[in-house]
Amino acid sequence: MSADTAAKQEGTKKVPIYCNQCVCGPDLFKVEVKDGVALRIEPNLDIGDAHPACGRVCVKAYGLIQKTYNPNRITRPMKRTNPKKGREHDPGFVPISWDEAFDIVGAKLNEIRAKGLIDEAGYPRLAASFGGGGTPTRYMGSFPAFLAAWGPMDLGYGRGQGAKCYHSEHLYGELWHRAFTVTVDTPNADYIINCGNNQEASSGVTGVWRQADARARGMKRVQVEPHLSVTGALSAEWVPIRPKTDAAFLYGVIHRIVLERDWRTLCDVRFIAEDTNSPYLVGPHGYFLRDAATGKPLIWDLAEGKARPYDEFRDRPGARAALEGVYAVAGFEEGPDGERWEHAAASARPAFELMREHLAQYTPEWAAKECDVPVEAIRRVADEFVAHAKVGATIEIEGVRLPHRPVGIMLGKGVNNGWGGYQTVWARTMLECLVGALEVPGGNIGTKVRLNRPADNRMKSVKPGPDGFMDYPFNATTKDAWQSKPHIRSAYRMLVPLSANSPWSAALGPAHLPWLFQKDPPKPWPRQTLPDMWICYRTNPAISSWNAPEVAKRIAEFPFTLAFAYTLDESNYMADVLLPDATDIESLQLSRIGTTGSGEQFWHHQGWAIRQPAVEPIGECMDMTDIATQLAVRAGLLRKYNEAINRGSAATRLKSDAYDYSLDPDVPHTGYEIWDAIAKAASHELSGGEEVHGIDWFKEHGFMLRPFSQLDWYLYPEIKKHGLRFEMPYQERIKRHGEQLARRLHEIGIEWWNHQLEEYEALPGYKAFPDIWTHYAAEVGRDPDEFPFWALTARSMQYAWGANVGLPLIHEVAANVAGHDGIIINRSAARKLGIADGDPVVLESASGVTRGRATLREGIRPDTVLLVGQFDHWATPYAKDLGLGSLNSVTPLALSLTDATGSGADLIRVSVRKDSARHVGKREAAR
Amino acid sequence: MKRYGMVVDLNRCVGCQTCTIACKHANDTPPGVQWRRVLDVEYGSFPNVERLFLVTGCQHCADPPCVPVCPTGATRQRADGLVTMNYDTCIGCASCAVACPYQARTIVHEMAGYYGEQTVQEQRIAHEERIGVANKCTFCIERIDDAEARGLTPGVDAEVTPACSVACIAKAIRFGDFADPSSEVSQLAKDHRSFQMHAELGTNPQIRYLYEVPGSTPGRRPEPADADDEALSDPANPLAGARQPFWDYRAAMNFIIGGMTSGLAVVAWLAYAAGAFDFQFLRSVHVAAAAIMAVGLFFVFLKLGRKLRFIRVLLRPQTSWMTRETWFVAAFYPAVAADFLWPHPALAFIAALAAAGFLLCQARMMYASKGIPAWRVPLVPWMFAATGVFEGIGLLAIALALAGGHQNAISALAPAGMILAVANAALWRRYRATARASGIGPLSRRDLAAISPLLHLLGHAVPLVLFALSLVIAPAASILGGMAGLAAIAGGSWWKFMLITRACHQQGFAMPMIPQRGSGTRASPERLAFG
Repeated sequence: MSADTAAKQEGTKKVPIYCNQCVCGPDLFKVEVKDGVALRIEPNLDIGDAHPACGRVCVKAYGLIQKTYNPNRITRPMKRTNPKKGREHDPGFVPISWDEAFDIVGAKLNEIRAKGLIDEAGYPRLAASFGGGGTPTRYMGSFPAFLAAWGPMDLGYGRGQGAKCYHSEHLYGELWHRAFTVTVDTPNADYIINCGNNQEASSGVTGVWRQADARARGMKRVQVEPHLSVTGALSAEWVPIRPKTDAAFLYGVIHRIVLERDWRTLCDVRFIAEDTNSPYLVGPHGYFLRDAATGKPLIWDLAEGKARPYDEFRDRPGARAALEGVYAVAGFEEGPDGERWEHAAASARPAFELMREHLAQYTPEWAAKECDVPVEAIRRVADEFVAHAKVGATIEIEGVRLPHRPVGIMLGKGVNNGWGGYQTVWARTMLECLVGALEVPGGNIGTKVRLNRPADNRMKSVKPGPDGFMDYPFNATTKDAWQSKPHIRSAYRMLVPLSANSPWSAALGPAHLPWLFQKDPPKPWPRQTLPDMWICYRTNPAISSWNAPEVAKRIAEFPFTLAFAYTLDESNYMADVLLPDATDIESLQLSRIGTTGSGEQFWHHQGWAIRQPAVEPIGECMDMTDIATQLAVRAGLLRKYNEAINRGSAATRLKSDAYDYSLDPDVPHTGYEIWDAIAKAASHELSGGEEVHGIDWFKEHGFMLRPFSQLDWYLYPEIKKHGLRFEMPYQERIKRHGEQLARRLHEIGIEWWNHQLEEYEALPGYKAFPDIWTHYAAEVGRDPDEFPFWALTARSMQYAWGANVGLPLIHEVAANVAGHDGIIINRSAARKLGIADGDPVVLESASGVTRGRATLREGIRPDTVLLVGQFDHWATPYAKDLGLGSLNSVTPLALSLTDATGSGADLIRVSVRKDSARHVGKREAAR
Repeated sequence: MKRYGMVVDLNRCVGCQTCTIACKHANDTPPGVQWRRVLDVEYGSFPNVERLFLVTGCQHCADPPCVPVCPTGATRQRADGLVTMNYDTCIGCASCAVACPYQARTIVHEMAGYYGEQTVQEQRIAHEERIGVANKCTFCIERIDDAEARGLTPGVDAEVTPACSVACIAKAIRFGDFADPSSEVSQLAKDHRSFQMHAELGTNPQIRYLYEVPGSTPGRRPEPADADDEALSDPANPLAGARQPFWDYRAAMNFIIGGMTSGLAVVAWLAYAAGAFDFQFLRSVHVAAAAIMAVGLFFVFLKLGRKLRFIRVLLRPQTSWMTRETWFVAAFYPAVAADFLWPHPALAFIAALAAAGFLLCQARMMYASKGIPAWRVPLVPWMFAATGVFEGIGLLAIALALAGGHQNAISALAPAGMILAVANAALWRRYRATARASGIGPLSRRDLAAISPLLHLLGHAVPLVLFALSLVIAPAASILGGMAGLAAIAGGSWWKFMLITRACHQQGFAMPMIPQRGSGTRASPERLAFG
């Protein structure tokens, strides 16, 4: 050992910890600690053999030491002394003791409980917002048990996640193939069409690793997006498409396959006929034609020349389902609210035929014009897609032979949220169905992340529902069961049938509407009251929301805000109490790892990993579990809180038929005791009782695993096992819910959701989506021609979800990647505006303004500008001096930009000009 | 014997900077210093664009240009190929930094924390020994050195493999022993086509870049426009080198003052030998030359990162022109001093010889700076030598004018001055005319162009005319000669100062081959079958 190494290692220990700063984790690292000081971070290669990226962690994990020792941290509880709230009012925070902080918060909690958890308008008095993608739960210790103990709570105040997420994919993906998050089975894929998904920045280390392996193997990816992202850079081809026209591109591709070429020889006809609703006959009213006796949808059997219920085709040799033609068939259609249309000889056509007819208008020439891409590109991509699909091929996975369709399609965030999302996701799923690539090796597959329960087993969430499809817990739209008043301020159960009603659903409804309605409620609408108390944890809605400056004003209107605070930021600037929680490498928690997950986490293992204090918390920062326990005690909820922990709210249940590690519900427990019990239950469950380990074992070893079958990556065999079909291409249920919802809303006089109601189409039509954003300017009295550019954003791997904008180390390395130091503008377009590289520029939309420096690049359309990440900070130390703009400062909150699923999109029309000297001077002075 | 090196796959690297930050952790580098850096490169113009990520850092060249220029031996090359740094020996002269064509070296002069004052962690990982000396990627040398003792293999076992390679989330950076044909790096290099960056400079760098996907995408040469003057004139283009930050006006002062004074010492001796003046005058001139030269040497002393170690500059006469320069200083001053105390023509001759050596060393130091395309041109040492002699003539003319009464000497000196003026002008013109072909980039060429008019006028034409006039107008010969000398010195100082501090752009990065991907004409070819 060299002297240098020996000196480094003497007296040091390496502490295993998980990183879940982004949704694609956890991944594992080690912290090198000496004399109580964390010195360095390295990947935890102990898990190299089991981890899909051989134990690596991404750049963000290496920021955690600086995050810990950031001198700008809040290290003592603080209370506000200035009763006035707002950006212009210094909050006047002063340090207080933890006791005083708990007294203040406890009193408020008890006051709420005394008044009743629901206010006079029917809304929960307590509201809470957490950061994106469920990542905060990996840091909040046992706080979920406090939330569970509390009772009704409004979790629908958006903060960038949910409504801003891969929203249509989440909801329709979940409906069609239990794929709340959809990805490609990259290791088995040869060709990927990627519409704007910045995978190399957003799919975590496992995604990057798998994609790199696939590229080296020869996998071809075509990136379709307005700017050349990191992912586009790594793709074989970049197609610079006009923003928000991806559905048109994919419709053109489908048209090419099913109308210009011979789909009968190219496509997986067996899959189409047997595994989708393509052969279901559709009646003249647009609903499935059903068998009078059984009520089941009918299929025309070409072999016998008659219609029979869909399920009679199973195991019937010789039966041939018609995919084309018109048939006179007896039966009935079931419309909204139980309406029936009886037919003696309806003119019925297979759904597949209707789909082809629907797509006839979307020719490649039409798509090329709409997307502003060469028509050859559309035809070539279509031809390459089917050429790589290997229809008929199989592959052996763990001894089981499965179909192998090595073609997939990825959709980016801005592509599949907001208007056009439904169409794009439908087109993607349709393409996969055409070649039988849905939920099979090589094709598009989902992950364990879901709305549908049970949470721990995707396969078990496949339950037979009506008409041969999987069951789906739509929010009811029937007259008797529809929720006619919002139960939380986002009103997701009322407005969005697809959002279901799982613990995640609040985040997936129109979570930006509470901010909008707080100021401008539509008419009619129940009065929206303010929550008595708002809790803000590991999130900064005043930066991460659309129209973030406006959201900051709404936050300032809240009467009482409790913020868990790392440093001062733009949201906790309005808080009444700041509680400093111990951060990533200072506190204790166990988390599940493995199986499958967001991004491209596909493991051959599953198990548990630890996050533990590598060093003592800085100052008076407190572990979230201890904070949660104290809050439960102060709110008189200790018993319920402990019972929630015992039920598994913090991590996993502590009692089962096989074991009992439950905690005494009547006494408070230390964080150590809680996680020790959880560790024992988790290890017991994982090992079937063969290896039971307390938390000390995890502290030393870091993680515990057991195998996870690759067969559980693919849903198709499970679908077949239940004799089910994918609910594609025809959306009868969506159509029916849409019509019912329209009636319900109209019955109570709501007309302001009419535009959204138009989206409930059985076969989604294209609607010139870019115009919706272009016309927004006119809606607020501005001339759309004032705003000739599209402004977009792109994921930053270095920053996304990391709560690390205050770290100069991260900025230093991120600045090596274009866009982290300025606003990306096409060089030629900038030249025409007299803008040189590095010039200060101002972007203005009809709703806001943002400023930054110009970064001139060629890899962006001349009509588009790009703002990477989310910045424009004005309170967060260090970040506020970076002078970086943010798309969130120019994107509006608007009903007109909200689609039927309750999401908008990260884009808007802007003007671009060189900043005036006055503003630059002011900014430089501020720096 | 081992030969450690890396293979970087351009088709794998996603530019995420994990290697950069992992290196910062493993090697405790201070704010702003990145031993492993990944550039975000764009080629082409919309709608025909390619973007790629280029891993850079010390290439641990088999023929490293940084090693021979080191005057102290702080930078060496080991038998296993690693180019090493001894922080305790380095004086921070930055010769290595300007010799490196890969922008791999940095010198930090002050301890600093990311937030200004160092945090407790930054204090613990601070390396006082690295302040004021050259730093660069070590290939995580201490890990490699542990390999043998632990029975492990670098590139195979993570504990003994460079941190960037271990941390890479795309398997883009592979490390190992190129001398072992079975190593992963050897296999990759065998099975894939690859390039070494700036192979034409003869450095034989030990990072090989892969650019093809065997069997499907062969890769291609960049388009001519990708590295044309317009592309490389863009300061935001990461491929274009920026001005070197290492040798500033203090270094320039040594080249200016040292050049002219050493030239003076030589020219004066030649003039004395030719009988232009007496021995006493020569001695006075030598003393003056030594005194003025000391000013330049003091400036360069000021520039050293570790001033108290300056004596170590004498340690590498085998290869370092800076060491040799210092040895000539060490001979010049005693010779001048001895001649002053015990006058003897032999001592004056030794002084003149040492001064000539000094001038030659300066010229070669510039030429050895392989990291600066404008300096490494073969004409540059000739230009420095010729300018030194010309300035020496100029200084001597001034000295003669000031001393008065050396009419004949001036008349003898003027033709030499005229010849040198023409020679210097010719050299400069040739240097400019061949600059592009010599590999000097457009940014430096633009600076050279800006120097030219004034240089030709003040540094060449004016001395030529004034020396000529001094031959014609005998009564004013002294004053005209002196003025000619002043002009010659001004011209020489001007171009040397500008060359060292302005036309000093570092060698940029370049890829002779790149992956075949991008938009429009750059996209990879259509593929209707696979596998």
